[in-house]
Amino acid sequence: MKNIANIFVIIITTLFFTSCETDVTNDITLNDATPRLVINGGLERNTITPLTSQQIQLTTTASFLTTEDQPFISNASVTVTNGTNSWVFTHIGNGVYQNSEITPEIGNTYTITINWNGEIYEGFDTLIEVPQFDDFYFEFEEETLVTDAGYFVKFDTTDPINIPNFYHYRLFKNDEFVIVPDPGNSEVLIVSDKFFDGRQRLGVNPNDEIAFEIGDIAKAQQLSISESYFDFLTELFIQTGNLGNPIIGNPPPASIRGNLINLSNSNNRALGYFYTVDIEEDTITITEN
Amino acid sequence: MTKRLAYLFFLCTLGIFSQEKQTISGYVKDNNSGEKLLGVNIIIDNSIGTTTNDYGFYSINLEKGVHQIEISYLGYTTIQKEIVINGNQKIDFDLSEELAELDEIVISSNKARKKIESTEMSVISLKGETIKKMPAILGEPDVLKSLQLLPGVSSVNEASSGFNVRGGSVDQNLILLDDATIYNASHLFGFFSVFNSDAIKNAKLYKGGIPATYGGRLSSVLDIKQKEGNTKKFGGNVGIGLISAKALIEGPILKRDNEEAPGSFMLAGRRSYIDLFSFLLDDFKDSSLFFYDFNLKANYDINKNNKLFLSGYFGRDKFELNGLLGTTWGNTSATLRWTSVLNEKLFLQSSAIFSNYEYNLDNLRTGSEFRWKSSITNYNIKPKLTWFINNNHTLKTGVDVTYYKFKPGKISSLRGSSINEEEFSNKFGLENGVYVDLKQKISNNLSLQYGLRWSNFNRLGAEEIRQYETGTPLTYNPEQDIYEENEIIGATNYRSGDNIKSFNGLEPRASVRYLLNESNSLKLSYNRMYQYLHLISNTTSPTPLDVWSPSGPYLKPQYSDQLALGYFKSFKDGKYDLNLETYYKKLGDVTDFIDGADLLFTEEIETQIAQGKGRAYGLEVQLTKNEGKFTGWLSYTLAKSETKVLGINNNEYYPSNSDQLHEINLVGFYKLNKRWDFGLNFVFGSGRPVTYPTGRYEQNGLVVADYNNRNGNRLPAYHRMDVSATLNPKKGKNGKWVFSLVNVYNRQNAASIYFNEVGEIGDQEIATGMTQATKLSFFGIVPSISYEFKF
Repeated sequence: MKNIANIFVIIITTLFFTSCETDVTNDITLNDATPRLVINGGLERNTITPLTSQQIQLTTTASFLTTEDQPFISNASVTVTNGTNSWVFTHIGNGVYQNSEITPEIGNTYTITINWNGEIYEGFDTLIEVPQFDDFYFEFEEETLVTDAGYFVKFDTTDPINIPNFYHYRLFKNDEFVIVPDPGNSEVLIVSDKFFDGRQRLGVNPNDEIAFEIGDIAKAQQLSISESYFDFLTELFIQTGNLGNPIIGNPPPASIRGNLINLSNSNNRALGYFYTVDIEEDTITITEN
Repeated sequence: MTKRLAYLFFLCTLGIFSQEKQTISGYVKDNNSGEKLLGVNIIIDNSIGTTTNDYGFYSINLEKGVHQIEISYLGYTTIQKEIVINGNQKIDFDLSEELAELDEIVISSNKARKKIESTEMSVISLKGETIKKMPAILGEPDVLKSLQLLPGVSSVNEASSGFNVRGGSVDQNLILLDDATIYNASHLFGFFSVFNSDAIKNAKLYKGGIPATYGGRLSSVLDIKQKEGNTKKFGGNVGIGLISAKALIEGPILKRDNEEAPGSFMLAGRRSYIDLFSFLLDDFKDSSLFFYDFNLKANYDINKNNKLFLSGYFGRDKFELNGLLGTTWGNTSATLRWTSVLNEKLFLQSSAIFSNYEYNLDNLRTGSEFRWKSSITNYNIKPKLTWFINNNHTLKTGVDVTYYKFKPGKISSLRGSSINEEEFSNKFGLENGVYVDLKQKISNNLSLQYGLRWSNFNRLGAEEIRQYETGTPLTYNPEQDIYEENEIIGATNYRSGDNIKSFNGLEPRASVRYLLNESNSLKLSYNRMYQYLHLISNTTSPTPLDVWSPSGPYLKPQYSDQLALGYFKSFKDGKYDLNLETYYKKLGDVTDFIDGADLLFTEEIETQIAQGKGRAYGLEVQLTKNEGKFTGWLSYTLAKSETKVLGINNNEYYPSNSDQLHEINLVGFYKLNKRWDFGLNFVFGSGRPVTYPTGRYEQNGLVVADYNNRNGNRLPAYHRMDVSATLNPKKGKNGKWVFSLVNVYNRQNAASIYFNEVGEIGDQEIATGMTQATKLSFFGIVPSISYEFKF
C-alpha cells in the first residue's frame, strides 16, 4: 500500500516522532446546505468499441459524511441538441437517463437541457478529436516512494501541432473502471499540451496508482476534452486529493463550478459537468514478457 | 506638493532652536565584546532623556556646567556619573552585562521608564539572548516563533511560512535583515525561520505607529540586526541540537596591541541534519530534506566618524522525493553600509543593498520531467540623515530607491524529457520613497513623532502587456456568481525602461505620547501605508512556491490605515509594567484569489485574482515583570480580522485565515541559582477559521465535496505548554546544556481537519464512496537536548 498522502506525515514524523492523524468523523457536525441538482456524465465518441447508447446520471447532493447512497433524480426531463437535431433521454432507473439514437460527432457542440422541479438547467460542451496511441504496452517497475511494485500500462502518443489539446486518462482493470482519490490525479489523469505542443510523448502512464498483476486485462483510454472541462477536472482532482497539509497545498475549499446554468433561478446552481469527449483506447493482457 | 510639505517641516523646526547649548555625542558599547548597543537610555539630571540609535550613537544638548548622567540598558549594570561640560564633547560609554552570579538584581527605575516615555507604541523589541532562553521546538531557538508569543502576532499553523500581525496577511510584513528585504523567512516549510538566533543581536517589530522611515508593507516592519562581532578578542561558539548543528566565530579586525581594534567580524553557519536519519525509513531512500544558512557581518572604522559595515546572508532549503518532485529555495542578501557622524548634530547613514529570493521546482515523474525556476531580485539604495536639532527635536529624512526584477517562471527540460522550453516574460519595477520624520517634545508631558512619506512605484518595461476586450482581465458575472475571463484583443510592447504604469501614495504617520504622571502615559498613533508588491498564494498557509507580483495595469497597490490607542503604566519602581492597546485597521485593494484559481504555471496571473477590502480590530493587554529572579509576561489579545471580495463568500465579509478571537500567552523565566535557568511558555488560542463541506456528490467515480461559505467553521482551540531548563557552565568552564519539553501535556492540536473519500479497502487502493474527516496534528510531546560550547 502506497499513498502520497503518507509522505507528509512521514516527514513530520521524522521531524518530531510524534505527529499523528486521527479519524474524527464521528466528532464533527456539519451544516448541510439545501440539496442541489448534480449531473454526472456526458456524451462519449468511441470508434474502437462503439457505444450502443449514451447515459447521463442525475442525483442531488447529500450530507458529506452520510453513509447512505446518493439520492437519485427520476422525475426530470432531459434533452440534448446539436443545433439541428435533438434527442430525448429517458429515465431507466437509479437516476440514469439514456438515449440510443444519438451518435456524437467531431466538432459538434452539444447542449443539454434539464427540466426538474420547475426549473430549467442548460449546459454545453464541444467534441474535439483525440489522437491515437502510437504504441501500447506494459512494463514492470520496482517499488518507489509513491508507487507499488508491479506492472504498469504505458503508451506513446503524438500531440497534434498548433492546436491546444487537453487530455484525460481512464484505466480499467479486468473491465472495471479504477480510480483512487489521490493528490497525484491532478497531474497524472489530466494533462494539457501547453509544454509539449506537437511533440511525441513516450512511456505515458495513464494512472500510476494502479499496478497490474500477471493475468490481468488492462484497458486504457485517452480522452480529448475541452479546455473548460480540463479546468473543471483540475479543480476536482485537486480537491479530491486534498490532504489538509501545507506541503502539497491546501487551497481553501470552494464549490467547484460546473457548466450547467440554472436559467430559472441562477442562485440555485447545479453541480457537475456535462461533457463531450472523443476516446482512443487499447487493451492488453499482462503476461510474463 | 510633497516638496513643499517637506520644506514646511524644515521651516517649522528652524524656528524652534535658538538657545545656545553644547552638544555631547558618542557611542555606547558593550564592555566585553565592543558591540554597539542600540536603544540605550541616557538620562541627564533625571530630566532630559534620549536613546542611542540603531548604531549605538547618541547626541544630546546640555548647558555648560556639571551634570548627572545615567546610562541604563536592560540586562546591563547602570552607569551613574558626573560629567563636566565645557564645550561640544564626544563621550563614549562602555556598559557591563549584569553578572549572572548576582542573586539580587539592582533595579533601576529608568529602565522601565523608556516604555512609558517613548512616543513609540505597538513596538516589540527582543534581544538575541532572550530568544535563546525560551523553550524551543526541537531545541532550535527561533525569532519568529518567539515573536508569536507576543500579543498581536500569530501564525496560521506551526508549518506556515511567516507570521500574521494584527490580522494582516503574511506578505504584509516587511522583514529586514540589516536593511535587506527577506522575501521568504521560512526554513522547512515554516517550522523554522531563516534567522539563526546565534547571529542575531536584536529584533524589533512595529505592529503599528510605523515611522515614516519605513514603507512598502501594510501590516508590520520586522527589523532584525545581526551581531557585529567582538572587537576585543577572537571567540565563538559551537552548538549541537537535535535538528541542526551550528557554529559562530567572531573577532577583531586589524587589532594592534593595547588599542581598540578598528573593526570586527562575525561569521555564522548552520545546517540541519534530520535527513541523516532518513535512511532509517525505507521510504526515504534517495530522498533529501535539509536546510543550511550562512550569516556574515563585518564592520570597520575608517576613522572616528566614519564606519563601514558589510552584512550578508545566504540560505537554502532542499527537499527531494525521488521519482516525484524536488524543490530548492532560499534567500541571498548583501548590505554595504556607511555611517558618518558629520558633526555633533548630524548623523548620516547610507546603504546599498542586494536581495534575492528564488526557488526551483522539479517534476521528477517519468515521461514528464521538467524544472520550473522563479525568482525576485532587488537593488536598493537608502541614504538617511538624522539631525539632532536640540533636546526637543530630532529630525530624520531620507530617500529609498529600489529596483526590482521579477522572473515569474522559466520551464526547462530535465533528463532529456520532451518539454518545450518556455519563459514567462520578466517584470520590472522601480519603487521610490522620500520621507521626513520629526520627533518633537512639546512639554514634559507631551511628545510627538510625526512624518510624511511619499511613495511611488513604476512598472517598467521591457514587457508585453496584454490588452483585454473590456479593459480588465476579469468581469464578475453576478448571475452565476463567477468571474469570467475577458478576451485578449492584443498587446502593447514596452521597450526596456519604458514606464508602463505609475502609482503615487502619500503616507502620513503620527504618534502622540501624553505623560499622565511619572508612571502612566497615554499614546495615540496613526499610519497610512502603501504596498506595491503582492504575494499571490492560493493556499491557506503560504508555501515557498508562492509568487511575488508587482502592481501594474491590472493589479492595484494595497493600502491601509491604522489607528491605535494605548495606555502604559509602570509600577513597583518599574519592576512591572502594563501595556494596553487597542487598534482599528482598514485595508484596501487587498488581493485574494478567485474560487478555483490556478496559480502555478499561470502567466496571466491577473486572471486568477480579485481585489477587495479588509478590516481588523482588537485589544491587546500585556503585563510584564522586568526584573528579579522571575521575569516574563502574560498577555491577552481579543481580535477580529475580516475580508470582503466581490465573488467570494456571496460578496459578504468572511474571516481572514489569520482571524483568532482570543489568544493568551504566558512566558516566564526563572533563575534558580548561578547554574540553572528555567523557561516556560503557555499558549492558548481560540479556533482558527476553516471551511467544512456542506454537501457531497459523485463525479468521475470520486466523491466531491461542495462548500457554501469561505471560512465559515472553526478548528478546535489550540493550547500548549513548553518548558526548558538551561544548565550554565561552572566558572571557568564553557559548555552549556539546554533541555526542553515542548507540548508537555501532549495535546494533539489540530493543524487541520480535512474531509475526503476513504481511498483504500484493506491493502487495496481504490475509491470506496465512503467519506471521512481526519484531524492532522504536527506534534505531541517533543523532548530535546542541545549543547553549546563557547570558546
